[in-house]
Amino acid sequence: MPTIVVASPKGGAGKSTTAVLLGTELAHENVPVTLLDCDPNRSLTLWADQADVPRNITVLSDITEADIVRTIKAHDADGQVVIVDLEGVASRLVSRAISQADLVLTPMRATTLDATIGARAIQLIAEEEEALDRRIPHAVVFTMTKAIVSKQHKGIEISLRQQGVDVIDPPLMERAAFSGLFAFGGDLHSMPPMGNMDSARDNARAFAMQVYKRLAGEG
Amino acid sequence: MSDKNPFGISITPGKLRAKPKDTSPKTVAKTDAAAEKHGFTDRSPKKRRGRKPSPRTGQVHAKVMPDVAREIGDEARARGVQQGVLIEEAWALYKAENDL
Ligand SMILES: Nc1ncnc2c1ncn2[C@@H]1O[C@H](COP(=O)(O)OP(=O)(O)OP(=O)(O)O)[C@@H](O)[C@H]1O
Ligand SMILES: [Mg+2]
Repeated sequence: MPTIVVASPKGGAGKSTTAVLLGTELAHENVPVTLLDCDPNRSLTLWADQADVPRNITVLSDITEADIVRTIKAHDADGQVVIVDLEGVASRLVSRAISQADLVLTPMRATTLDATIGARAIQLIAEEEEALDRRIPHAVVFTMTKAIVSKQHKGIEISLRQQGVDVIDPPLMERAAFSGLFAFGGDLHSMPPMGNMDSARDNARAFAMQVYKRLAGEG
Repeated sequence: MSDKNPFGISITPGKLRAKPKDTSPKTVAKTDAAAEKHGFTDRSPKKRRGRKPSPRTGQVHAKVMPDVAREIGDEARARGVQQGVLIEEAWALYKAENDL
């Protein structure tokens, strides 16, 4: 199973939204997905409790530092995906999850503050790569972006790319449907329409495809 | 995958291969050390089991008349406090009385 860890010590960066969008889109394409809710605030569990959990998705709650490594290992199987959602803090739980990742996604809003704090996740990954002597693929995904890309966004993206950071294109734009997921539960295909649903679905799917390509080695 | 997909990549779950990862305690320890270096610390909620240790670590050696012992015992039980709390209160009164 490829394990995707969604990590940033910045609160409100869009981690849980990224985890749910990615999980529901992959599940919609018939990939079995296990979502691990490692956040004591239980965002994913709240999402799962809003409506029937979509087909192909299992949500496990209350995963802690003590059982993260074991839990990921237990769901290790070909043809499936495990997605780990973490609290927006700098914790040892984050680093243990990263140690088991096939891909780490760091969502960040395109602001200097988010990028600066998000960069701590990237530094931690580099340190773990060295300590474990294993390459840990990682990528940044910009979240809550606007149709008109700001100067700040462009600047941050260029500087990340220059430092060799993989930035996923497309970003996850700011969309009512994406925040609506937590109000209604389910996925973009089952929820009542909010905003431009077609664009929201295309955005989420294109993003999920980019992640899939990286996992399947087609990137 | 629907025909509407403008991005033209189809998902083959079979291509999603499990890669073995080291889960040994040694690896976890290395991971924790890397975390420590970057300020990613243990934030797991600490379970406090049982009674917290009492701050009352001093001790007096007091033999008193049996009826006083009984009364102090009864009063402490009734109030749900340690007998030492009553002695502390009595001592505070004594100090106030004697300008200590
Ligand atoms: N692309 C988006 N479009 C619209 N709203 C979004 C988007 N991404 C995130 N949000 C909203 O922003 C808020 C924070 O997002 P989210 O909960 O995903 O962040 P997080 O990184 O998981 O936060 P935490 O650190 O608290 O776990 C939520 O209210 C969410 O609905
Ligand atoms: Mg979250």
